[in-house]
Amino acid sequence: MNIVECTDVKKTYQQGKIVVTALGGVSLSIQKGGFVALAGPSGSGKTTLLNIIGGLDSADSGRVTVNGSTLDTMNQSELASLRLHNIGFIFQAYNLIPVLSALENVEFVMLLQGVPLAERRERAKNILDDVGLEDTYDRRPAELSGGQQQRVAVARAIVSDPAIVLADEPTANLDSKTGEGLLEMMKQMNEKKKVTFIFSTHDKMVMDYARRLVLIKDGLVAGDEIRDGG
Amino acid sequence: MSIDVKMAWRNLWRNPRRSILTILAISFASLLLVFMLSWQFGSYETMIDSAVKIHTGHLQVQAKGYNDKKGIRMVVSDPAAVGNILNNTPEVAAYTYRANAFSLVSSKERTYGVVVVGIDPVREAGVSTLKKLIRQGSYLSEGDTDQALVGALLARNLKVGLGDELVVLGQGRDGSVAATVVKVKGIYRSGQDDFDRSSIQIPLKNFQDIYSMRGAVHEVVALGKSLEYVSEIKMAVAAGVEDIGNKGHLVVLDWMELMPGLIEAIQMDLYSGFIFYLILIVVVAFSILNTFLMAIFERTREFGVLLAIGTTPGRLSKLLLIESTIMAIAGIVFGIILGSLLTWYFQVHGIVISGTSELMRQFGLPERIYPQLSILSASIGPAAVLFITFLTALYPALKVRRFRPVEAMTAI
Amino acid sequence: MHLQLAWRNIWRNPKRTAVIMTAIIIGVWSMIFLGALMRGISEGMVRNGISTLTGHIQVHHRGYRNDPVIENSMTDPEVVETALRETLPDGAQWTSRVRVNAVASNARHTAGVTFVGIDPAHEAGISFIGKAVTEGRYLRDDDKNGIVVGRALVDKFETGLGRKIIMMSQDTDREVASRAFRIVGIFKAEMQATEKQFVFVTKEAAQHMLKLKNGISEMSVILPDQKEVRHAADNVSAALPSADYEVQTWRELLPLITAILNIYDGFMYIWFVVVFIAMGFGIVNTTLMAVFERIREFGLFKSLGMKPMWIIREVLAESFFILLIGTTIGNILSFLSVFALSGNGIDLSALASGLEYAGMSRIIYPAIYSHDVIIANLVVFILGLLVSVYPAVKAARFTPVEALTHA
Repeated sequence: MNIVECTDVKKTYQQGKIVVTALGGVSLSIQKGGFVALAGPSGSGKTTLLNIIGGLDSADSGRVTVNGSTLDTMNQSELASLRLHNIGFIFQAYNLIPVLSALENVEFVMLLQGVPLAERRERAKNILDDVGLEDTYDRRPAELSGGQQQRVAVARAIVSDPAIVLADEPTANLDSKTGEGLLEMMKQMNEKKKVTFIFSTHDKMVMDYARRLVLIKDGLVAGDEIRDGG
Repeated sequence: MSIDVKMAWRNLWRNPRRSILTILAISFASLLLVFMLSWQFGSYETMIDSAVKIHTGHLQVQAKGYNDKKGIRMVVSDPAAVGNILNNTPEVAAYTYRANAFSLVSSKERTYGVVVVGIDPVREAGVSTLKKLIRQGSYLSEGDTDQALVGALLARNLKVGLGDELVVLGQGRDGSVAATVVKVKGIYRSGQDDFDRSSIQIPLKNFQDIYSMRGAVHEVVALGKSLEYVSEIKMAVAAGVEDIGNKGHLVVLDWMELMPGLIEAIQMDLYSGFIFYLILIVVVAFSILNTFLMAIFERTREFGVLLAIGTTPGRLSKLLLIESTIMAIAGIVFGIILGSLLTWYFQVHGIVISGTSELMRQFGLPERIYPQLSILSASIGPAAVLFITFLTALYPALKVRRFRPVEAMTAI
Repeated sequence: MHLQLAWRNIWRNPKRTAVIMTAIIIGVWSMIFLGALMRGISEGMVRNGISTLTGHIQVHHRGYRNDPVIENSMTDPEVVETALRETLPDGAQWTSRVRVNAVASNARHTAGVTFVGIDPAHEAGISFIGKAVTEGRYLRDDDKNGIVVGRALVDKFETGLGRKIIMMSQDTDREVASRAFRIVGIFKAEMQATEKQFVFVTKEAAQHMLKLKNGISEMSVILPDQKEVRHAADNVSAALPSADYEVQTWRELLPLITAILNIYDGFMYIWFVVVFIAMGFGIVNTTLMAVFERIREFGLFKSLGMKPMWIIREVLAESFFILLIGTTIGNILSFLSVFALSGNGIDLSALASGLEYAGMSRIIYPAIYSHDVIIANLVVFILGLLVSVYPAVKAARFTPVEALTHA
């Protein structure tokens, strides 16, 4: 079963007086449980594609289906609800809520979902333990290293068992060793929890971790290979 | 504590300097309003009280038309009957009878036209402050006949002192010449020049004889237990006087009808105050609007993330409104406390504005003014501040609803 | 160079700049406009007071002010006239009056009034009565028994044009003189109290009734320029024997109005400061925001070797521009709103009895005083720059390292 289904997705941006084509007609299917890298140079359209799959941005034409829901007919609050229940996000710049502690950041999504306090605390602690942050529950983002912050972000993304986790250049702000640790951890989660991961990157090392590598170039799919992964 | 409140609270302390300045701005407006309104309300009460006690009482029963024309023939012919009604109205604290006649009053050297007022010395003392205003000599006593009280300015104009004789010449109720000689028994000073130079008071019985009143009076003056009871008393008395004498001949007028200028002057002062306060609050609102706006400009990325992970726009608005409400409430609470302390200090010690005592006296105000702190005066102003602050906060809170996650996250 | 930089910097966040400017604009507008209204109210009071038989300067026989009776009249007006002619500047006008307390009565009513004998032609240029007669006619020099009374008195007395009214007052022999006059004109005045208080006859008629011969009670002077009042009064005073005459300006003659003017003065400056404090919080906060946003930039400046003083000047220059634009627009708006209202004024007739109680005119014409405008602008400017010193110093204190590590 395909968890993500894109059919001829097109997207253009107005940048000043120039019209920039971000996606020129992308069709892509991703199966449940995948660990997929969208690779390509910066400006290739991979981030736009991730955003459209995540319902953060809308396509000009084409059709996007995520976990059975067709995105292009949904309004903002339906999209918010879809993101809340089906999609987890990991960003390049971590983007944790600065006023909340690590534990609270992870809890926040479940709070939005209406998970009762005791349960969400329990789950948040478990997931933080899983990502190796058992000692940092009460620290605020500013008191964590980049790698730690990104682990919290991963924990936040997967804690509510989403259908897919979208990660935009998750390791770009980390040194290679920390980045590798993070990928290792993400892969573990992928295998342990059967969560689909889709991430964008232009880093060779990251690509090597992927089990499927989709090459994006000038807004089009330029290659698609299945690997056995690292 | 819910997570929203917790987040809002922590967000406030991300930039403590800014939050404190904002809270102080709100406090400043609240403080000022508490103090000013207490001051205004306090002086109105004093003004009304002194005007009521010097001039009109809380309400009067008069013949219809007397208030405008002051004709000597327009009388309450059976004052005792009206007195009876007042006796049976429990909210009435005291009442008295008065009769007035414009007459020529001459001393040895001078003649002036003044109002001669017949008063019941005992009852009058319960209703008006006249007895306390005596500065020389003494107040009238029950058995006095040919004695008079004279205002200090009139005494000066007439060049009379205690014990001097005054010749009174006027026209009686029946058109006959009314003439008598009275002795100055006391000289009073209210501080209101108009009052102090325009009348003399003689015993009512004496007045009724001289002006052939045949037992009638012009005004039955009543004082309620407090200002709030006035409309109640008015209704009760109005119903009562219906049955006396000719129907519709007597009317009941309250102090606002007797002194329309006073209540209008108070309203004017209040309204013009409101204009000033409103402008002040608007200036404060724009002063703090930037704080609220900055909260969203600075945190645009953060809001983008919150939206991305599934927070609804409504929740973001709520979060922002909680933040601004915390600041607003902290501000007004602080403002109310400081304002009340300040007001309370002056309520105990009074305020003197130098060079204004003469002016104050003309409006029945003492030189030293005591603001009157009340629930009302301590809450109206801050409530207005809270309301306008909330409106101010609404703009950014609604603006955040238009944020789209991608644009927000990529904003600087 | 830094002025240019400052100018560009304030438009980096145009919305924020617009918000704080709005606060300043409303603040300055309220200072000047409400100030002009208060000046308008007080000018109305003064104008009213002066035209209600006060004038700028009055000359009386010594003692008249305390005891305004017939004995205290000036028996030889020529002496006063000569003094006025010799000392007053060109364009000054004066008139003489007989003015005593009297009792007015008709068949039904009696009331105390101020009985004024005037020189109709001269009086017209000096007090309100020249233009106030709305029914019948104004007095003529040869009116032997004509009288002009106020509308409110006519109503109270239930009388009208052509009817008789009897005046009684003490004459120079201390006898009660009484005489019947016929109402030839009815006047309306700003205040009902004025309409009830004053009745006018010719000076000759009054002198005749009170056996005054040539005597007068007062001489009232209007000067071409109100500012010269004090000086002119001193000159007149010096020219007259002080044992017999007293010379007073309207400020002394109308002590209550003078007191109100002083209160208004004080209130206005308090208002300026209050409004400033209200916007001062905003100015500090906005400048702080602008500074903290640019910590990196200031750090960079410093690491490039910029002196702290330069940074302070830069931040102050930004405040200066914001204040300059805010006050300019605020001034323009307040001038426009004053101008819009100066034609017809603000009509408060609906509150007539309240106005009368407070001694105010029914129509308020806002009046801009240059020194109020200057003070308002100075308060905003000087204090505005002063409170900006705090953020400016803050900006100058960032060390390069601090600034560059700031998130």
